[in-house]
Amino acid sequence: MTNITPSTSGAGQPHPKPGPPKARFRPWLVRMGENRVVRTFGPFVPVILLWWIIAELEVFPSAFFVGPGTVFEKFDELIAKGILPAYLGDSLERLFYGVLFGMLIGVPAGFIVAMSAWARKLTWPLLMFFQAIADIAWLPIVIVWFGFSLTAVTFVIVYTIVFPLMISIVSGVEQVPRDVVRAARSLGAGRLQVFTEVILPGALPAVATGIRTGLGYGWRALIAAEIIVGTSGVGFLMFDSRRAQEVTGVFVGMIVLGVLWFALDALVLAPFERRTIERWGMIRTAEAGR
Amino acid sequence: MRTLEISNLHKEFVDAYTGQTVVAVGDVSFSIEQGEFVSVLGPSGCGKTTVLNIVAGFDTQTSGSVLVGGKQVDGPSPERGVVFQSFALFPWKTVLGNVTFGLRMRGVPRADREAVAHQYLELVGLQGFEAKYPHELSGGMQQRLGVARVLANEPEVMLMDEPFASVDAQTRRKLQEELTGIFETKRPTVFFVTHDVDEAVFLADRVVVLSSRPSQVAEIVTVPLERPRHWRSALDNPDFRHTVTYLTDLLAAGEPNADESEDAPETSAAAGAVGEG
Ligand SMILES: Nc1ncnc2c1ncn2[C@@H]1O[C@H](COP(=O)(O)OP(=O)(O)O)[C@@H](O)[C@H]1O
Ligand SMILES: [Mg+2]
Repeated sequence: MTNITPSTSGAGQPHPKPGPPKARFRPWLVRMGENRVVRTFGPFVPVILLWWIIAELEVFPSAFFVGPGTVFEKFDELIAKGILPAYLGDSLERLFYGVLFGMLIGVPAGFIVAMSAWARKLTWPLLMFFQAIADIAWLPIVIVWFGFSLTAVTFVIVYTIVFPLMISIVSGVEQVPRDVVRAARSLGAGRLQVFTEVILPGALPAVATGIRTGLGYGWRALIAAEIIVGTSGVGFLMFDSRRAQEVTGVFVGMIVLGVLWFALDALVLAPFERRTIERWGMIRTAEAGR
Repeated sequence: MRTLEISNLHKEFVDAYTGQTVVAVGDVSFSIEQGEFVSVLGPSGCGKTTVLNIVAGFDTQTSGSVLVGGKQVDGPSPERGVVFQSFALFPWKTVLGNVTFGLRMRGVPRADREAVAHQYLELVGLQGFEAKYPHELSGGMQQRLGVARVLANEPEVMLMDEPFASVDAQTRRKLQEELTGIFETKRPTVFFVTHDVDEAVFLADRVVVLSSRPSQVAEIVTVPLERPRHWRSALDNPDFRHTVTYLTDLLAAGEPNADESEDAPETSAAAGAVGEG
């Protein structure tokens, strides 16, 4: 996924020197490239083709590697039985609560640490320390505390999201140009107004990056937690299939994970960034995952 | 009536790394009358920005006093609007949102502030661009927005720190001419910092020349040019040329030595040709 509207026209501009054999070919490719659907799903066509060929040639025994057809049938079956929708629902619910509490804690905490010099001095070493402990490394103790429960999984997701979010917000607030803050002050903005009118929107690109990074980590942590804690969910589906010597289920799980992240990005994160940061001409802090 | 009065301003910085004390402003005194345009001219690094920052309330002086409208300066205030070299517009606000910002902060009702905003957008030639975002404007238009945003607040004094230094030469000339036009219609009080002699003379009623560090007021020169002003006629005007030459010599004389270590302004190069060696 790249920019949708503004820069597409650039792709249609005449290329410097189209060689004679390519000249007929290029406009067709370029026109295809401008189609959003083609651009989004096009790159997957050769991958699926390759997958299908490898499966058809039976390079690997079917206990290790299955083709797209088999996976699709399994997918269909899991939906029909209601297993996949239920597991997916469970995973998304956990992710939702994890992200919700992660943001409820991380966003205010990030801004407090960013805005107050002494809060920063006091908490920065702690932040660094706790960020360094891998999320999954908490699982053993979390299971002792909360058992194999939604709380345990949520805790891990919240944990993964809070620290990258706080650190992004601190760096985002630091990146708000000093002159812009001064301009607001000398136009009559008080301290609170400087915060709401300048610091908050000014730090938004970094917050968006933090949420994107945090979500990515949270998503991975969720699957890992489900594999270990699991009683349901996409991670559990994969783990359970493996236990039953059934690779097709593992494949289904992997594909579902990829598609979900893709959808989350395309339906939530990207439109949000397009409507704010891109529209305002502000540089995104990172291009991760785009 | 004196709008701005600076007396014996002195500012020292303590370098965070070396712990050494740097005197950024030695001893500066001058004043600006209401409705007057004053350029503060001096070589790079002589403390012009420091003086402006103290007047703006962004920084505090080590000693001396700054009075605006008879009151001691204490922190930033809408009475002292600032136009920045970096424009410092709000990227997340439209052109209209930027211009109405100051009035909104002071609780002026929407209808009133939009009426005022339209008036000032028209003054700077930005009517029709209300719904655009700053990044969609050219550099010249962005700085015109910067000026409109300050003037809409009707400050006692407008502070400008090399506001046209980051636009191309052609646009700069145009903006300077537009600024004199705006000044002639609205008669705001302007404190304009620059290291460009031509610009200082073309715009101002009086030019305050600062010596290099530790800076003092070397001289205050009254510009003998009629208003309205235009570049074409100014460049042909002997009075304009004499004033420019005089100030260029003055700056060259103030140079401590011939070394060109700092980013010396182009004026010193021109002065080199005139200097008696
Ligand atoms: N915040 C600061 N800390 C330390 N030294 C500073 C600071 N701001 C300015 N200075 C020093 O004060 C002097 C004057 O700077 P400035 O006012 O920016 O000059 P000008 O605007 O005339 O180019 C310079 O030598 C600069 O290095
Ligand atoms: Mg300066």
